[in-house]
Amino acid sequence: MKRYTRLIALVGVLALAAAACGEEAAPPAAEDAEAQRGGTFLGGLESDVDAAFDPQKEYYSVTWGFYHCCLLRTLVTTPGTTADNGGNELQPDLATDLPEVSEDGLTYTFTIKDGVTFAPPYQDTEITAQSFINAMEREATPAVGAGYPFYYSVIEGFDEFSEGEADSISGMTAVDDKTLEITLTRASGDFPFRMMMPAAAPIPDGAADGHNKDYGRFLISSGPYMFEGADEATAPPAEPFPGYEPGQSIVMVRNPSWDPDTDDLRDAYVDRFEIQIGLTADDGALRTDSGELHMMLDSVPPAQQIQQYQGDPERRDQLFSFVGDGVYYISMNVAEAPFDDVNVRRAVNFALDRAGLLQIRGGPLFGEVADHAITDPLTDFLLADFDPYPSPDGSGDVAAAQEEMALSAYDSDGDGVCDDPVCENIVSVTDEADPYPDQSALISQNLEPLGLTLDVTTQERTTMYDSCNDPGAHVAMCLGPGWFKDYSDATTFGEPLFGSSAVGPDSCCNYALVGAPPEVLEEHGYDVTEVPSVDADFQACDEMELGDARVQCWADFDAKITEEVVPWVPINFARDVFVAGDAVRGFDYDQFSGQPDLAGVSLAGGGGA
Amino acid sequence: MAQVASEPIVAEPIGPEVGGEPSKQVVGRSPGQLFWRRFRRDKFAVAGFVFIAIMIVLATVGAPLLSSVVNHEPNEVFVSEALNEIGLPIGPTGEFWFGADTAGRDLFVRVLYGARTSLTVALVATGIALVIGVALGLIAGFYRGKVDTFVSRVIDIVLSLPILLLALGLVAACSLSRTGCLGGLIRPGVLLVSYVIGLFSWPYIARIVRGQVLSLREKEFIEAARAQGAGDARIIFREILPNVTAPIIVYTTLIIPSNILFEAALSFLGIGVKPATASWGKMLADAGGGIFTVAWWMMLFPGLFLFLTTLAFNLVGDGLRDALDPRTAR
Repeated sequence: MKRYTRLIALVGVLALAAAACGEEAAPPAAEDAEAQRGGTFLGGLESDVDAAFDPQKEYYSVTWGFYHCCLLRTLVTTPGTTADNGGNELQPDLATDLPEVSEDGLTYTFTIKDGVTFAPPYQDTEITAQSFINAMEREATPAVGAGYPFYYSVIEGFDEFSEGEADSISGMTAVDDKTLEITLTRASGDFPFRMMMPAAAPIPDGAADGHNKDYGRFLISSGPYMFEGADEATAPPAEPFPGYEPGQSIVMVRNPSWDPDTDDLRDAYVDRFEIQIGLTADDGALRTDSGELHMMLDSVPPAQQIQQYQGDPERRDQLFSFVGDGVYYISMNVAEAPFDDVNVRRAVNFALDRAGLLQIRGGPLFGEVADHAITDPLTDFLLADFDPYPSPDGSGDVAAAQEEMALSAYDSDGDGVCDDPVCENIVSVTDEADPYPDQSALISQNLEPLGLTLDVTTQERTTMYDSCNDPGAHVAMCLGPGWFKDYSDATTFGEPLFGSSAVGPDSCCNYALVGAPPEVLEEHGYDVTEVPSVDADFQACDEMELGDARVQCWADFDAKITEEVVPWVPINFARDVFVAGDAVRGFDYDQFSGQPDLAGVSLAGGGGA
Repeated sequence: MAQVASEPIVAEPIGPEVGGEPSKQVVGRSPGQLFWRRFRRDKFAVAGFVFIAIMIVLATVGAPLLSSVVNHEPNEVFVSEALNEIGLPIGPTGEFWFGADTAGRDLFVRVLYGARTSLTVALVATGIALVIGVALGLIAGFYRGKVDTFVSRVIDIVLSLPILLLALGLVAACSLSRTGCLGGLIRPGVLLVSYVIGLFSWPYIARIVRGQVLSLREKEFIEAARAQGAGDARIIFREILPNVTAPIIVYTTLIIPSNILFEAALSFLGIGVKPATASWGKMLADAGGGIFTVAWWMMLFPGLFLFLTTLAFNLVGDGLRDALDPRTAR
């Protein structure tokens, strides 16, 4: 899942706060939370959601946070809390229990809870097995342009349905209204996790008909909240719900159909959420300080705010920092010169000052330098000491970089400096928000000794991702992306990032075009006809049973990606930091999405800023 | 060539007073000398002129010279020296005279190179506006009738266009390609900013020139030139144009500060020069939000230079206007 604005500020004060509190943001005591039911949570966003709340398309951590806490329940899910508190442990949500799995690992049977209905205007429609089949069929519909259909190709008949060869997904069967049977084409130990992602959330019959491109505006909730205005709509809705105004605001209100007795995982203390879109990080910080906002949800607290809170004993406990499961990186297009040469890609890895980039982001306390792609917890820290591009203090090694460049075809005289015109004005895009423009200055400086000059364009965040994801744009370097695990398995760092099925623009998020088929390269005007592929590598890991062998397989995959294929320069592993307003109580961190758990937040006195 | 005498030759007394009475001896002074005497009397205009001269020197040779003195390049990043442990920039020190910015770059050097950006854009944009404005103003004022009507409507349309939206659109359309648009003619950066500003500021000059030409074409010397068989082109370029030079110079000088501010505004909005290019407007944008509360130098120095430069051009423009047209003199 993409990590847009998730600046991970491992603030030193956070360490102090953690020490003072004993733990990273512990959940509130029940008796305190009871007293704080009610009120309107006022939040802010720098950027709008990625795909207008379309659950099959959204592949953005912030939107997933809204889904997970508030709008979409799934068959199984994880609680909205930290990993230490079980935030990575799968639990039943709309299912009565975790699925039964056949002996051969190919068939999963879910039993669905009785009496759970959708939010208005489908308040009389019970959630059944067919509701989940509706979601998967929509996921498989090419016209929808789903964000991560590759996760579900393992379901028997999914690809056939997608290609128009079948009228239904043969591997999904509604045995009865309350029993859903899913048959896979091969064993996939992490399959239950795939059914907790928003694309697998139930959809009422017919609710998404005619909305291939805009279902998000008509999103039927199954969670404790819904978009404002849903209760005044017809079934199916004729107009988009006013609760979501693209680019402007998100308003969620209580779902009258939600029965807390069927939902052990969500508390839903506040009555209403009002989220303003388009605030800058600085503006959001000022408003949070003054009490106009309770929290910015997608921005890094500005350094001056952190410095201010560091020095104020009364505000220190309003700073929260958590180990996120994400990485910030630079992507190099392996089909675009000069990055179609692996020696150039390796040279870039040697040259970049990762420690400096981290310091610009906020210093060594705001994360740690990353020497490989997959976050260490997902590979059991097997690569903790892995450093294929060593340099003094992680600050880059120009000499080693030039040695590597000298091996490149673009350095005809072997002096370590590219002398081909393709190394000039390399088309690069980055996020316009801090710290990316500043980081791009250091990146440009690091690459100059190699004869690589960058032509950097800053773009609004989602536009940047769209540009990076569009092979036709021929973006050679994407300087501002981040990636957060989709769920607690390293497979989420495999196919979505490096799979041929994840090449855009209709899929996501293989910006480096690793494994892009020749016809795709030709379609988008590339001179190269073949690029390295790792499809076989990650598929082999994906088929393994959960356990040590699978983890080792992913560690080996990570090493291969980092040393042999080299589509990336990993910069730093991330921590998520938030500043909560004075009135916020019961703040918890949703390990799944890397967002605040809005279903668990409460407000002082039961309301108001 | 007959020329409307803008100023008669003035007789000024020189020599010592004799018996309490000044001796009156006529000294002839050319219009140029008269202009310079009047301009010199305006101390503010002279100060502005000197400041502009200094800025031009700084922008051309001064910036690289001083950059080598402090041994910092404008885009050179000093992460460990210029940023603290949480990434905040340091303030003015012996090594960083104006402090550093959030990328760890020397603000002093970037302010100097920012002068280069601002003056380049302003002068190129003004040049474009000058060429287009003078040409269309001459044509409209001289030919009048349908030609004048057409040019005047074009001016009205151009003045009505949403320049910011157009600039945004051009930047978006031409930013993601090595060659930009129109075969590389339009690429985001200093040139694009110059084109946009120039293409939208020519109407002001055109209107001034048109008004002057409408008045001049009725003068007797124009009739005399026609009587002598002069064609339209000769009359426009040899008779009329020299007589509108003075207002052109004045208004051109007054447009320059507007164009400097326009470039700063575009850069502030992120649709001007590239991120790496030093620009006062971009520096002010970087200092916006809350960072200036802990890094005041990021706003003070580029803001001061921008203010003083635009003030200097305004003062020079006022001085030129007063010197060239004594009816407005103080």
